[in-house]
Amino acid sequence: MKLSDLKKIREKYSKDMNLREGKARIKIVVSMGTSGIASGARETLKALLDEIEKRELNDVLVTQSGERGLSSHEPVITVYEKGKPTIVYGDVSDNVARKIIAEHIVNGNPVSEYILEVKEEG
Amino acid sequence: MDNARFHIPDNEEYRALKKFIEEHRNTPGPLIQVLHKAQSIFGYLPPEVQKFVSSELNVPLSEIYGVVTFYNFFRTEPIGKHVINVCTGTACHVKGSKVVLEALCKELGVEVGGTTEDKFYTISTARCFGACGLAPVMVIDEEVFGRLSPQKAINIIKDFKKAEEN
Amino acid sequence: MAKRLDVLVCGGGACISSHSHEIKDKLIKVIEEKGLSDEINVVETGCMGPCELGPVMVVYPDGSFYIKLKEEDIEELVEEHFLKGRPVKRLLWETPEARKIVEEKKQIPFFEKQKKIVLSNCGKIDPENINEYIAQRGYEALGKVLTEMKPEDVIEEMINSGLRGRGGAGFPTGLKWKFTRASEGDQKYVVCNADEGDPGAFMDRAVLEGDPHAVLEGMAIAGYAIGANMGYIYVRAEYPLAIKRLEIAIKQAKELGLLGKNIFETDFSFDVELRMGAGAFVCGEETALIASIEGERGQPRPKPPYPAQKGLWGKPTLINNVETLANIRHIILNGASWFASIGTEKSKGTKVFALSGNVRNTGLVEVPMGITLGELVYDIGGGIPNGKKFKAVQTGGPSGGCIPKKFLNSPIDYESLKALGSIMGSGGLIVLDEDTCMVNMAKFFLEFSIEESCGQCSPCRIGLRQMYEILDRITNGEGKLEDIDRLQELGETIKATSLCGLGQSAPNPVLSTLKYFRDEYIKHIVDKECEAGVCASLFYAPCENNCPANVDAARYISYMAEGKLELAYYTHMKNNPFPSVCARVCPAFCEKRCERGKFDEPVAIREVKRLFADWALNEPPKFTPPEDSKKEKVAIIGAGPAGLACGFYLTRMGYKPVVFEALPIPGGMMTVGIPEYRLPKKVTLKEIEIIEKAGVEIRLNTRVESLDKLKEEGFDAVFIATGAHTSRKMNIPGEDAEGVISGIDFLRKINLGENIEVGENVIVIGGGSTATDAARTALRLGAKNVKIVYRRTKAEMPALPEEIIESEEEGIEFEFLTNPLEIIKDEKGKVKAVRFIRTELGEFDDSGRRRPVPVEGTEFTVKADLVIPCIGQKLTMSKLHAGLELYPNGHLKVDPETMMTSKEGVFAGGDAIYPSTVIESVAQGRKAAIAIDKYFGYEGALFEEERGEYVPDYDEEAYLKTILRKKPEYSDIRERIKSMALEVNKGMSLKDAIEEARRCLHCDRGKSLLKKKVEKKHKSLEEML
Repeated sequence: MKLSDLKKIREKYSKDMNLREGKARIKIVVSMGTSGIASGARETLKALLDEIEKRELNDVLVTQSGERGLSSHEPVITVYEKGKPTIVYGDVSDNVARKIIAEHIVNGNPVSEYILEVKEEG
Repeated sequence: MDNARFHIPDNEEYRALKKFIEEHRNTPGPLIQVLHKAQSIFGYLPPEVQKFVSSELNVPLSEIYGVVTFYNFFRTEPIGKHVINVCTGTACHVKGSKVVLEALCKELGVEVGGTTEDKFYTISTARCFGACGLAPVMVIDEEVFGRLSPQKAINIIKDFKKAEEN
Repeated sequence: MAKRLDVLVCGGGACISSHSHEIKDKLIKVIEEKGLSDEINVVETGCMGPCELGPVMVVYPDGSFYIKLKEEDIEELVEEHFLKGRPVKRLLWETPEARKIVEEKKQIPFFEKQKKIVLSNCGKIDPENINEYIAQRGYEALGKVLTEMKPEDVIEEMINSGLRGRGGAGFPTGLKWKFTRASEGDQKYVVCNADEGDPGAFMDRAVLEGDPHAVLEGMAIAGYAIGANMGYIYVRAEYPLAIKRLEIAIKQAKELGLLGKNIFETDFSFDVELRMGAGAFVCGEETALIASIEGERGQPRPKPPYPAQKGLWGKPTLINNVETLANIRHIILNGASWFASIGTEKSKGTKVFALSGNVRNTGLVEVPMGITLGELVYDIGGGIPNGKKFKAVQTGGPSGGCIPKKFLNSPIDYESLKALGSIMGSGGLIVLDEDTCMVNMAKFFLEFSIEESCGQCSPCRIGLRQMYEILDRITNGEGKLEDIDRLQELGETIKATSLCGLGQSAPNPVLSTLKYFRDEYIKHIVDKECEAGVCASLFYAPCENNCPANVDAARYISYMAEGKLELAYYTHMKNNPFPSVCARVCPAFCEKRCERGKFDEPVAIREVKRLFADWALNEPPKFTPPEDSKKEKVAIIGAGPAGLACGFYLTRMGYKPVVFEALPIPGGMMTVGIPEYRLPKKVTLKEIEIIEKAGVEIRLNTRVESLDKLKEEGFDAVFIATGAHTSRKMNIPGEDAEGVISGIDFLRKINLGENIEVGENVIVIGGGSTATDAARTALRLGAKNVKIVYRRTKAEMPALPEEIIESEEEGIEFEFLTNPLEIIKDEKGKVKAVRFIRTELGEFDDSGRRRPVPVEGTEFTVKADLVIPCIGQKLTMSKLHAGLELYPNGHLKVDPETMMTSKEGVFAGGDAIYPSTVIESVAQGRKAAIAIDKYFGYEGALFEEERGEYVPDYDEEAYLKTILRKKPEYSDIRERIKSMALEVNKGMSLKDAIEEARRCLHCDRGKSLLKKKVEKKHKSLEEML
């Protein structure tokens, strides 16, 4: 690998990640560190995928990450959306995950009682 | 170690261990990695296994024994099918891990370190799994369960067993 | 039957005015027409918030939020959404409104004060996908180093950045690199220390799990700088997920050629291998870690030689911790000066802390070095949950120390923590609340260090064990005062003489608690008391232990579980003769420590008590005066809780004391300080009658002028319990205005039947029980607007939580963070208004609370007819107190052991010595009674049998599942605010009380020990009657 190759990878994937030119409109990142998994992040992930499949939302991407830090509110998920602030949700149980898909992802109304943080950029 | 007098059982477990040893024989300082592998295969490190490792790696048995007993992670006694480790690290201590441990011991009818009659669970303690934010915490095999109360912990081990039985 | 859809129509005032009722009617009509009534539930709710968008409606389960509905929309809505399942987009609430709500939503400050460098990728990128790391400029720093920088430049950059090792000791990273580079050797190694053994620290795990490539990149850069081509990561076997993610990361990096031969087509090659630890804390020490990688027992080796000279397999080795390595790429990318601009003079950059223990928000936080402990605990951590008080923070794990509340303003950096007797360590920060016993905590850490000692050197092996044995003795009530010095000596010796860091730092938890919590050690040794209720051999049950008067709640609750009211009553009377009063006004210290609270909710001990207490009021009094009374005469001044309790217990020891009371009514604050709706006078007077019948003579309307006079009258001892009746001044202009009356004066006058014109607007200043009492009394006397103004926040209000809630229910307004500046008078000198200024919470004071600081330019004025300052009171000085020593705060000084004042034979208690609650005053009165008996040369023996377990007769197993606590009945709010006499809390039924008592977990089981040395077993309770 040359430095220029690294740069190419970077450019390609940072575009994808920023959702500017990627296919996905929304990216949901589930924190899957030890704390998250112990608090039920696997069930959260399953619920998200299940709802997305049921509703045939083909512009929503779900991925995993390490933990964001706030253990007491695990499971934590982050919603990145084109042109909108990034929203971090906490205490996202199976049911809450389904609610977030229905209210936030489908209807565009973030579920305020579970929001931990709102950031202008990803 | 007199190799001739030590009969190596020819079974899958020993073959798997031998294969691992062959692969790692030439890496520097392989002993601890080999013991990890052995424990993951046999569940614990009985004298026969230690002897086997000794002859395979050509390391004196006394040295192997020294290493095995030095590290908390290695066990020389057989254990149940699943190991419950209740964390007794500081955060868990402060948040009442002792009560959880007592409740589990009472529920299972064994002392700390003991194995249930049906050989399903061994209960033990450990220092910190790094899930302090969820204290108190226990780990069954590799799965972490957090924010425990005595009742919650008891429910978890019951459900865990039920799930496996079904 | 559950319905398919729930439709919530807002019935808030604003929506109704925009015709939400019509919308609802229309909905129901259309739903009926379409035959959907069985499937859809239409409910009217309270205000949903966005009134300007009304009428609004929410449909569950999907939560579609409809706004600005019109009747003509309904047809379409039902058809499309309810029937066909397609929400009507045009009517849905969407951004920007939604966005605005989100932005306005108060974010939890957990994130606000953080600065993420090391953790910047954690929670953001997929750690199992190297491309996502590369997208965050991953491996760019390595590329830059390999193609643009000489190794020496890299080291120079590290030195300039000021980065120090994050593993604990804080050695400058750049220097370590420099030394390792300078060492001669054909082969060198980089080792990443990921043996995160400190219980309470988990930042390394989070980094390895969330951003493993950052560590690999850091290692490769270090390898280039020191001239190594091989790296090892020594990681704990307890972190399986971290191991898995590291394995994936190494594999992916090798596939892309970012590890391996000729990286970025340069001459530099670098490989990384994992080595699993096996659970030995000492392996965090670098020489022990090296031994462990080599496959041996992890025993430390003497230094020098240092690993930089002779490390792994005898070769020069650089050992850095995970967090240190994760910083490297950021320093290379952003420059040393950027990094050095963050943090303090000597501690640069950020530090990740693992916040855990008794704090609301637990987890990992990354903050600039130099943030204060208080900011971490309160702003980021959100403070202490469950209404408990902060006690200390423990940093640095078993090698660190405990820092008490008076240092909350202290910055967190390597030097400051060391100066406080702790260390930074790897960043574990455990918050401890008032329920933590510091002696037990020290013992806990010592036990850890003993188990983890490798046993090589004797100071650590033997010395720590000796320290442990001493601590064990102390926590079992067998300590001696000399033990404290012995611990100190041992600790210092072990620190000075141990071979490695483990032994050198293991005594820190003991030494730091000895330094800051010596009183607690002394309490354990001398009084055999563990106030935190942790050291099990020092008490029977946490409820009893936490009661200032040690009322045996565990036992009376057991009696109540069987409906044995009489036995429950006698149990209570042994320590407190005011069960009915305390059942109404006690802060219930017992319930705060109730173990059941850890399970679901604490037992409602106070409410259960009320049943047997009120029962006894209607029974013929059972306590009779002593027959052959002792000859010594005791005078008691003041017929409040302290004086009467003292009198009652004196009768039980054979005296016939005389109580002098200046007012026409006995009871002190119980009758003239607490309003009728909270504590009816007839209840208090009935309990006082029982005390009188037991042999206490009360002389009302009798003010005692001097102690000498009492002596002349033949009294051999005096107990002063005159209370504290002089209000503290606010010291602001206009305080002398007509219409300004202190809280206690106001309440006393009302209680004595005086008439006070409260007017329309009443302002109460203060945050304690007197403030809520005065405010609620004013409301009941007809005031229209009653406002309580307090300088701190609601969370800091000393009033009981139920008093605050009930006040709010009754319509009392609160102004927090506000201080009065001036009382404005009219031309007749009568109060007209009060000028206030807003405050904000500043630095922490010694009590661990934030000091309110006025904010300039926030002055405002509020109209007032009556102003009631309730900011505390002090002893009223009279001739009586002449010649007695005082505390600096103006209260009487007593010997805490004997309750005796500076004058022989004169004792004191209650508010006169320290402003306190009824139960605390009772405890002092009782203590004084015993002390007086001893003063006369007797044994000070009260009824004290061996407190043992009592096993009630009912099926306990049935009560071990989650059952929430029973609630008492309350008077209707509309009724009660009109009446001074209507009791707010009406108590619970006997049936409920018995069921409630059966929730008790019986912490006293298996305990039978003689409690207080001063109260040896003499007569049984029955003999005392």
